Amino acid sequence: MSLSQRKSFSVFPAIQFIIIIALTFVLSVNSFAQEATDDTTSVTSVIIAPPTNLLVEDFEYDDGEKLNLIWTPSIDDQPQVGKVTGYQVFRVTNDDVTTKIAELMPGANNFTDQELDKDSTYSYYVTAIANGAEASSVTTSPISPQREWVNFGLTNLFVIALIIGGAIFYFIEMGKRGKKLFVRKIAGLEAVDDAIGRATEMGRPILYIPGIHDMDDVQTLASLTILGRVAEQIADYDIKIRMPVARSLVMTAARETIKASYQAAGRPDAYSDDMVSYITDEQFGYVAAVDGIMVREKPATVFLLGAFFAESLILAETGNHVGAIQIAGTARPAQLPFFIAACDFTLIGEELFAASAYLSNEPKALGALKGQDVGKIIAAAAIIAGVLLETVIQLTDSESAATLLGYLRQAFTT
Amino acid sequence: MDHFGIWLAAFLTLGIYSFLYRDNAWYKLSESIFIGISAGYWVVILFWDNFYAKFWLQRQDDPMLWVGAALGFLMLLRLIPKIGWIARWPLAFIDGATAGLWGMNFLASNIMVQTKATIMPLMGPAFSGSIGDLLSNLVLVGGTFCGLIYFFFSKEHKGAFGNAARVGIWTIMITFGAMFGYTVMSRMSLLIGRIDFLFRDWLGLLK
Amino acid sequence: MRREIPLAITVFVGFLLIISVFFPPVETLGEDFSLSFDIIAVFAFFLGGGNLIRIHLKKLARRETDWMFSIVTLGGFILMLTAGLLKIGNPGDIATSVNTEGMLFESIYRSVFVPLGATMYALLAFFVASASYRAFRAKNREATILLVAAFIILMGSTPLGAMATSWMPESLSIFEIPNLAVWIMSYANLAGQRAIIIGIGLGVVSMSLRLILGVERSYLGKEG
Repeated sequence: MSLSQRKSFSVFPAIQFIIIIALTFVLSVNSFAQEATDDTTSVTSVIIAPPTNLLVEDFEYDDGEKLNLIWTPSIDDQPQVGKVTGYQVFRVTNDDVTTKIAELMPGANNFTDQELDKDSTYSYYVTAIANGAEASSVTTSPISPQREWVNFGLTNLFVIALIIGGAIFYFIEMGKRGKKLFVRKIAGLEAVDDAIGRATEMGRPILYIPGIHDMDDVQTLASLTILGRVAEQIADYDIKIRMPVARSLVMTAARETIKASYQAAGRPDAYSDDMVSYITDEQFGYVAAVDGIMVREKPATVFLLGAFFAESLILAETGNHVGAIQIAGTARPAQLPFFIAACDFTLIGEELFAASAYLSNEPKALGALKGQDVGKIIAAAAIIAGVLLETVIQLTDSESAATLLGYLRQAFTT
Repeated sequence: MDHFGIWLAAFLTLGIYSFLYRDNAWYKLSESIFIGISAGYWVVILFWDNFYAKFWLQRQDDPMLWVGAALGFLMLLRLIPKIGWIARWPLAFIDGATAGLWGMNFLASNIMVQTKATIMPLMGPAFSGSIGDLLSNLVLVGGTFCGLIYFFFSKEHKGAFGNAARVGIWTIMITFGAMFGYTVMSRMSLLIGRIDFLFRDWLGLLK
Repeated sequence: MRREIPLAITVFVGFLLIISVFFPPVETLGEDFSLSFDIIAVFAFFLGGGNLIRIHLKKLARRETDWMFSIVTLGGFILMLTAGLLKIGNPGDIATSVNTEGMLFESIYRSVFVPLGATMYALLAFFVASASYRAFRAKNREATILLVAAFIILMGSTPLGAMATSWMPESLSIFEIPNLAVWIMSYANLAGQRAIIIGIGLGVVSMSLRLILGVERSYLGKEG
C-alpha cells in the first residue's frame, strides 16, 4: 500500500470517527429512548476492511476436539490508528447454528476452538469490529476435528523416558540379581542413626513432620517411604514417635506405614494409631500447633521431610530453639536455604528422593540411584557438547556443527 | 470489619506474638481457636467445593466421579478393624497415579527443559563480547555441570571429581544465599503489615 | 492378597498414567485422577476430622494437661462446621458461596482465621532475623559462602548497598554491590538452580519408578 493510500485510510476516518462518536453521544443523551450500547445505531460511514486468509486446520495430536484458526488481521488494524477495536470469532455448526465463541484484542490472528465433537463439522468466520462498523471474513468450508491415536509430537520425550527409565530399570534388576552396587555416603542420611540414638538416650520423643501437602505430591510419598525406614528403627529402640499431619489422607497413609514398620520389626503390639494425629489442613494453623508441640514436648529429634512452604523456617527455628537435632529435606528450592540455616542436616532436592533407597540399603533400591546417575551423565554430556558446538558455531560458522547442534537441541525439546 | 471483630483480631494477633516470649496460656488459647476454626473451615470448603460442586451436582454426567467416591468409601473401611486393610487400595491408587503423573511431568519440565536451556554459546560471534561475559557464561555452564557432579551418587567425592563436586556445592550455596537474601526483605514487609493493623485499624494511632 | 492387590493397583494406575501422555484419546486421565483425588480427600476427612474430635474428647475425659483448650478447639471446630454446612445467615440460596458477606462462616473467617493466619505468617520476620543471626556465625566454608551471597543480595536491594560502593572507579563497576547482586542472581544463582532442578527431576523419575515397580512400598511393609 502506498503512503498516500495509507493516509486516506487512516487519518480522515479517524476524524470522522471522532465527530460521529461525539454526535452519537449528544443524540443519545438527548433521546432517552436510545441506549448507548444499542446495536441498531445507524452509523455506517466508518468502513473497515475484513480479516482475510482465514484458515482452519485440525489441531495436531489431540483427541479430535480442537481446531486451529489463523487469519490475516484487517489492514485497518494498526497500532497507531486503533480503528479496529477487536475481533469476534463465530462458529457455524452443521445444523446451521451460529455462535460467537471468542472476543479477541486488536492484532489477534489466531484462535484454538476447543471441546468440539469429532463427528460434527464446523465452519468459521472472523469479524473485525470498529466502533460503529464491522467487517467479516468469508466463511470457511466445513471441517471436522480429527482424532490422532498417538502423539508423535512427544517422540523426544518418549525416547528420553525410555533411556532414563530403562537405565533405572536395568540397575534395579542388577541389584535384584545380587550385583554389588556402590553408592557414596550421604551426610544427612548417615546422621539418621545418630539422631534416633540420641532420642533413645535422652528418653524424649521423635517428631516427624511430612510437609503440608497431600498424597498427590510425590514429596509426601518420598517422605512416607523414609518414614517407613525410620519407623522400623524407632520400633527397635522403643522410642516414642509423634507425627502431627495437615492432611487426612496423609494421616491414614502414615498410620499404615508405621504399622507396617512395627510389624516388620516384630513389635506390632507397640504400635498405636495415636502416633499420628490430624491437626488441620490450614498451613499456619498446623504450624501454630506443631510449634506448640515442639516447645511443650521438647523432642530430641525432628524430621522435616516433604513439601514445605513459608512455614519451613518457623518450624525449623522453633525446633532449633528447643535444642532438637533436625534433619530436613525438601524439593522446594526456595525453602532449602532456611533448612540449611536452621537444621543440622539438610537433604537437598534429589537427596530427599534418594533417602529411602539409601536407608534401606537394599541392592535393588540402590540400583535405582545408579539409574538416576545415568540421567545425570546424559544431561551433563548434552550440556558440554551443546555449549562447545554453540561456541564453535559462533566462532567459525561451521555448518556441520550447526546441524549437530540442531539434532541435540531437538532431542531435548518437549 | 466491625468493632468486635477488630478487637478479637487484635487479641488473637497479640496472643500469637506472645509465643515469641515463651509458651503461655494466651498463645495456647489463640492456637486452639486457630486449629478448631481452621479445621472446620476446610471441612466446609471441601464439602461444598469438592463434594457438592464436583461430585453431587455432576454425578450423573461423569462416571469417573464414582471411581473417586468408591475409593473414598473404601478408605472409610479403615474404621472397621477386620477389613481395615482394604483402605490400602485407595492409597495404592493414589500412589500409582501420583508417581505416574509426576514422573512424566518432571522428566519434561525439569530434566529436558533445564538441560536445553543451559546449551548456550560461551562467546559472541567472532570472539566478540568481553572477557567478563565469557567468565560469566563459564560460571553458569560450569556451575550447572559441577552441581550435577555434586549430586552424583555412584562415585566417591575424591580427587578431581571431588574438587568438581566441591565447586558444585559452593555454587548451590550461592544459590541458597541469593534466595535467602531475596526472601528476607519480603518477610520484613509481612511484619510491617501486622504492625500496621495493630496501630492503624485497632488502636487508630496511624491515620 | 493383602499385599498383591494394592501392588497390582499401583503398577496398573502408574503405568497407565505414564503412557496416557502419549495417546491423545486418554491424555485427560491425569485430570480425571485429580478429580477422583479431590473426592477421595472428602471421604478421608471423616477420618481426619473424626481423629481431631476423638483426640480432644479423650484429653477432656482424662483431664490431661491443658484440657481446657481442647474445649476451645472442639467449640471452634463445631461452630465453623455448623455455620458453614448450614450456611447460617445466607443472603441467597444453596448455590451461594459460603464465603459471601453476611454469612456467619464468612465473618468468623474474616475476624479470626485471617488475622491468625497473617500473624503466624508474619512471625517469619522474627525467625528470619534469628536464622540470619545463626548464619552470621558461619560454621564452615559452605555457610560462609551462603552468608556472603545473602548479604550481597540483601544490600543490593537497599540504598545503603549502592552508597557503600559508589566510590568505585568506572572500570570496576561490576563490583558495585547492586551490580554484583544482579550478576549473582543471573549467573551463579541460576547455575545452582539448574543443577538442583535437574537433580530433582531425576529424583522424582526414580522415586516414581520405584513406587510403581514396588521397590518402595512404605505402607505395605517388607516383602513377606
